Amino acid sequence: MQHNQKREKVHAVLVKVVFIIFILVIWEVAARMRIFGSRSELLFPPLEVIGKAFIRNFIEGYAGRSLWIYIGNSMLLLTKGLGIGILLSFLFSGLSMVSRNFYHIYNLMVSIFDLLPGVALLPVVIIIFGIKPDVIVFLVVHAVLWPMSRSILDGFLAVPQIYVEAGMNIGLRGAALLWGVYLPAAMSYILSGLKVGWARAWRGLISAEMIFGIATCPGIGLFINQMRTNMNNAEMYAILVVIIIIGLIVQYGILVPIENCTTRKWGMSK
Amino acid sequence: MTNDSNMILEVRDLTKTYGDNLEKRIILKQINLEVKRNEFLCILGSSGCGKTTLLRCIAGFENYSGSVLVNGKEKLAPGIDRIMVFQDFNQLFPWKTVEKNVQYPLKLQGIRDKAELRKRTHEVLRKVKLLEYAHYYPHQLSGGMKQRVAIAKALALKPEIILMDEPFAALDAMTRNQLQNELLAISLEENCTIIFITHNIQEAIVLGTRIIVLEKGGNILIDRDNPIKRPVTPASEGYGAVWEQLHSALYQENKPNTDIIVD
Repeated sequence: MQHNQKREKVHAVLVKVVFIIFILVIWEVAARMRIFGSRSELLFPPLEVIGKAFIRNFIEGYAGRSLWIYIGNSMLLLTKGLGIGILLSFLFSGLSMVSRNFYHIYNLMVSIFDLLPGVALLPVVIIIFGIKPDVIVFLVVHAVLWPMSRSILDGFLAVPQIYVEAGMNIGLRGAALLWGVYLPAAMSYILSGLKVGWARAWRGLISAEMIFGIATCPGIGLFINQMRTNMNNAEMYAILVVIIIIGLIVQYGILVPIENCTTRKWGMSK
Repeated sequence: MTNDSNMILEVRDLTKTYGDNLEKRIILKQINLEVKRNEFLCILGSSGCGKTTLLRCIAGFENYSGSVLVNGKEKLAPGIDRIMVFQDFNQLFPWKTVEKNVQYPLKLQGIRDKAELRKRTHEVLRKVKLLEYAHYYPHQLSGGMKQRVAIAKALALKPEIILMDEPFAALDAMTRNQLQNELLAISLEENCTIIFITHNIQEAIVLGTRIIVLEKGGNILIDRDNPIKRPVTPASEGYGAVWEQLHSALYQENKPNTDIIVD
């Protein structure tokens, strides 16, 4: 059984690696054949050029600052926004389980605000906060709060009645029941909310940074935008690779281990 | 209120209805029931007769009119003095190991001493023969094992009454017999009062010290002590007669004006 599982894992990794190599080969062929003529250099810079740009981004960077600084700034704002967003989503979803009126109002708010793209709110947010990093934090909170709340609320509503009754039977009520039964029982929903929330936050952050850069706290989005403006497409692609790598690190370094330690271990997901 | 200190549970005029005034369905009508300490009461009834509803009312999971008294005190909400063992295998918290499932309610009762927690957990897990599975998660156990853990969890709390809602109904015949024997041994060893719901006559005779047959609407058709000496087998003296009486009551419950037989 364990042997089979290990083989399955190795197989999955192998398939992914082969796929990535396949894409890279196609890219390189497209670059060398210059299939887009004069635009080929911009659309498909050879892998070697992108590789060099990748290193150059970290060493030279832009405007005298290494890409590390931009990444650091972005991650700082992202962490702040994610932290606040996750905290608020737990708080409001929890309150929704305690008060029926609050549930109705919050449910409506989630439905409304989840539809609004963060960048569409940008003009209003800038008027409120001014051109400050807080604007980005606000947009990250907006990106994570609503999908995360939706998942938590759905998760709470899907908790099997038998767990609730078993909890009440051993004396759990109110907040203790929420903490002791609802939260762990809704864990697979919460994790799925976390995945969606994180991805939305990451994209929201980069979009916001691309639209307006804050000189005191320049982030990855600003870096991409500058490369785009200057037609440094190899550098731009290199940053997209960085964005993907950060995304994968969060996915496989944080989210998957959390899943392994919780829902998978508990037999709640396969 | 009765002064009989041996009386652990009294159900008075309990009526349970579903639906609104326009479409009211009476599930239980003015049930009166008294249960003595250390009694193993089996409630027999066909599907839909209201036996599970009665148990859920006693447990405090349902609204009803009338009253449920434990040791003379009225109970309106679920509490650890009446621990329920459900029919559903998935009554254990899947995020806790077997050991933690048993310990969690104890911790909620304020028992913080690790040695004491361990002692009580191991004691009950040994009783249900699952000590070596203490660190397993519920999803790694079979249905029968999960029910054993649920029983262990109830025993560890030392409740006034253990309420069992057809806990073995979804098990295969062999496991069911095995668990019946284990439960019987535990009930003889422990000083505990058990109300056990079943639709299986054999189960009621093997386990119960007292057997009640409910008909639709919750009328008590039969309420008798089990005269058969334990351990009960189909070859036990009197088994056939009791079985016959319960069987005819169960299957003739549609007969109008059936007299209540009290033994």
